[in-house]
Amino acid sequence: MASNTSSMKKIVCKDLHSYLRTLPPTVLDRLYCHPATCLAVFRDIPELSRHYVMRILYVEQAVAQAVVQHSNNKYFREQFEAAAALVELRVWYEQPLPGGMPGWLLNHVFRTNLVTALLGGGTSWIGSKDLTPDKYAKDILFLDKYALERWECVLHFMVGSNEGTDGVNKDITDVLLHSGLMRVDDGEPSITAEGFQFLLMDTSSQVWFFLLQYLDTVQSRGMDLVECLAFLFQLSFSTLGKDYCTQGMSENQLRFLQHLREFGLVYQRKRKSHRYYPTRLAVNIVSGLSKSNIDTHRPGFIVVETNYRVYAYTDSPLQVALLALFCEMLYRFPNMVAANLSRSSVREALARGITADQILHFLQSHAHPEMLKKSPVVPPTIRDQVKLWELERDRFKFNDGVMYNQFLSQADFELLRNYAKDIGVLVWEMPEKRVLIVTKSGHDDVKKFWKRQKSSSS
Amino acid sequence: MEDKQNNSLLIIILDTNPVWWGRKQLANDQLTLSHCVDCVTVLADSHLMLTHKNKLAVIAAHTDHSVFLYPRPQSEKSMAVKLPDDGQYEVFSQVEGQLRSQIQRLIAADKVKIDDMYEVAEQPSDSLVAGAISMALCYTHRLEKECPIGETLSTRILIIKGSNDCPSQYMNFMNAVFTAQKLNIVIDACVLDSDSGLLQQACDITNGIYLKIPQPLGLLQYLTWVFLPDPNTRSKMALPPRAQVDYRAACFCHRHLIDIGYVCSVCLSIYCTFSPICSTCQTTFKIVGPQKLMKKKKKL
Repeated sequence: MASNTSSMKKIVCKDLHSYLRTLPPTVLDRLYCHPATCLAVFRDIPELSRHYVMRILYVEQAVAQAVVQHSNNKYFREQFEAAAALVELRVWYEQPLPGGMPGWLLNHVFRTNLVTALLGGGTSWIGSKDLTPDKYAKDILFLDKYALERWECVLHFMVGSNEGTDGVNKDITDVLLHSGLMRVDDGEPSITAEGFQFLLMDTSSQVWFFLLQYLDTVQSRGMDLVECLAFLFQLSFSTLGKDYCTQGMSENQLRFLQHLREFGLVYQRKRKSHRYYPTRLAVNIVSGLSKSNIDTHRPGFIVVETNYRVYAYTDSPLQVALLALFCEMLYRFPNMVAANLSRSSVREALARGITADQILHFLQSHAHPEMLKKSPVVPPTIRDQVKLWELERDRFKFNDGVMYNQFLSQADFELLRNYAKDIGVLVWEMPEKRVLIVTKSGHDDVKKFWKRQKSSSS
Repeated sequence: MEDKQNNSLLIIILDTNPVWWGRKQLANDQLTLSHCVDCVTVLADSHLMLTHKNKLAVIAAHTDHSVFLYPRPQSEKSMAVKLPDDGQYEVFSQVEGQLRSQIQRLIAADKVKIDDMYEVAEQPSDSLVAGAISMALCYTHRLEKECPIGETLSTRILIIKGSNDCPSQYMNFMNAVFTAQKLNIVIDACVLDSDSGLLQQACDITNGIYLKIPQPLGLLQYLTWVFLPDPNTRSKMALPPRAQVDYRAACFCHRHLIDIGYVCSVCLSIYCTFSPICSTCQTTFKIVGPQKLMKKKKKL
């Protein structure tokens, strides 16, 4: 039987937790040396785990497990997961108490630094130094506009439109190529199927995905992963519209800052300037992970009606191009486009490797404020239909299997078929033609059984 | 994808009664106001630390008025915020700084008032908890209105109280509590000194936790163990069992807490002594009971 795997791979945007899990223990331990990372990790663990940590935060010795975790059987599973998450991230260890009871002991470094973040003490964060008022002080509106412009540059570059792509330099291209969002065709980078999926994500997920890919390449650039992560987390805890000082930053961190400046995560007036402003993209890094449904950077603009009409109040060619990925464009006006969601247009998008969920998420995350008042935001008929169109495409289920045929007698066939059925490996049978198919894993057993049968009968 | 985001708002009402705290100080008690403020600050910061969506408000219930310690009105915020010079997260240090400075201001204002007076007038020994709860309810209402579409706000109020109950506040207090119940706001109470019947009722009505702390020095640990988890998480954690509730009501005539009293059959007002005219709804009651009994006896 033919075997086939789905040709398109869906890109997954790992959350912080699953990213940290991939890091080696030594890196994790070094990460906890900084209050900002502890804070970020703390906010990312499950809610129950957070309370466990808070409960024993000020206790310097191991605490009995039974005390920390209340044994309420109804929530046993959740409690188990909460404790497992903490062990996984090396936040606490299991340590037996003198009486022989199992106990938990918080990671010493983690505890000290979390307490520092909470209560103060220790050394100050990087760049937290009072500055003289900025002559060219920037307000939040300006920063938002700046960040969005920079980020759209990257997106424009990906779709290959010529608008303002001169700001995209080699570092960004490297990351895009490394992540497989683009590939080099005839010397020119061009977008891949994964790239289209990337475009449909909301901005904060895009930034996080992009940063993860960037962090993968950090070590090959000769920079220290821990230093970069620590700075990144610190950045995400800074206040929007406030300036910070670059003094006291290491050479690597300064380089990292320059890269972030290129992505639009920080604003720096001049390369040599001693102050920088974090933008909303940076501040939202950690918060954006908590699966926010609404894009906070700009108001939504898409209206979806139950008659499959889509109206988009935008003049951005990028947004129109994104919409055109899965919609049939009807009319175009200076500030608005009308489009239709049709079976063929959605199927075209699905063929490109975009999933129904991604389409629906795009519609929802860019929904017009008027649409947001309704619940659910996207009309249920549209949701269901788009999902049905996706299901339509995979009506085949592929199983690896081995075919048995050319049985000499009906009795032989039935014997083997019954055996296969009994051990649960039969996939398909056709008694008229004496053909049967068993799964690949069951093939060995069936073959042995048949050999035994033949030798015993002869 | 459809589930709404839930923001959790914690409103802490701190009893800053100068009379009660002053007596504690005189008695050389280990629990002082500054220690208590420290603990409350840490609890507030811990709440903010749980998720970035969490919101916070702190209200001081004083003898003659209640004030918001945090957040302060927008106009006051304009002064430059200093960055912390140690490893504390800047939001936390802002909260801490603001709480401290506001409490200092409150105490200073009291001092000025006392200095101005020749004879120190009798200061009431109770705090305006009912007023503070009303302020908290109004604040919640405003935040709920301002809440962006697609997000919900769940509020709880934590009352940290030392001074004694004041029956004269009974009506206002109960009205505030029932409003909270209607708005699905949980009221928790942490009592530092003697049991408070009013707070017990409030917690019982709104499904909150009432705790009289046995060890004042361990205040912080009590606060983080019991009052940090929000109501949804509480069922999954080990928490003290519900206390016996003192359900005595205060009479409407003298504001005494009473076990047995007279209730107006029209408006359900409570009186400790019999009165022929209900002062709330003006219904007149005739005394008829004993005479009828006499007549019946004669017939037999």
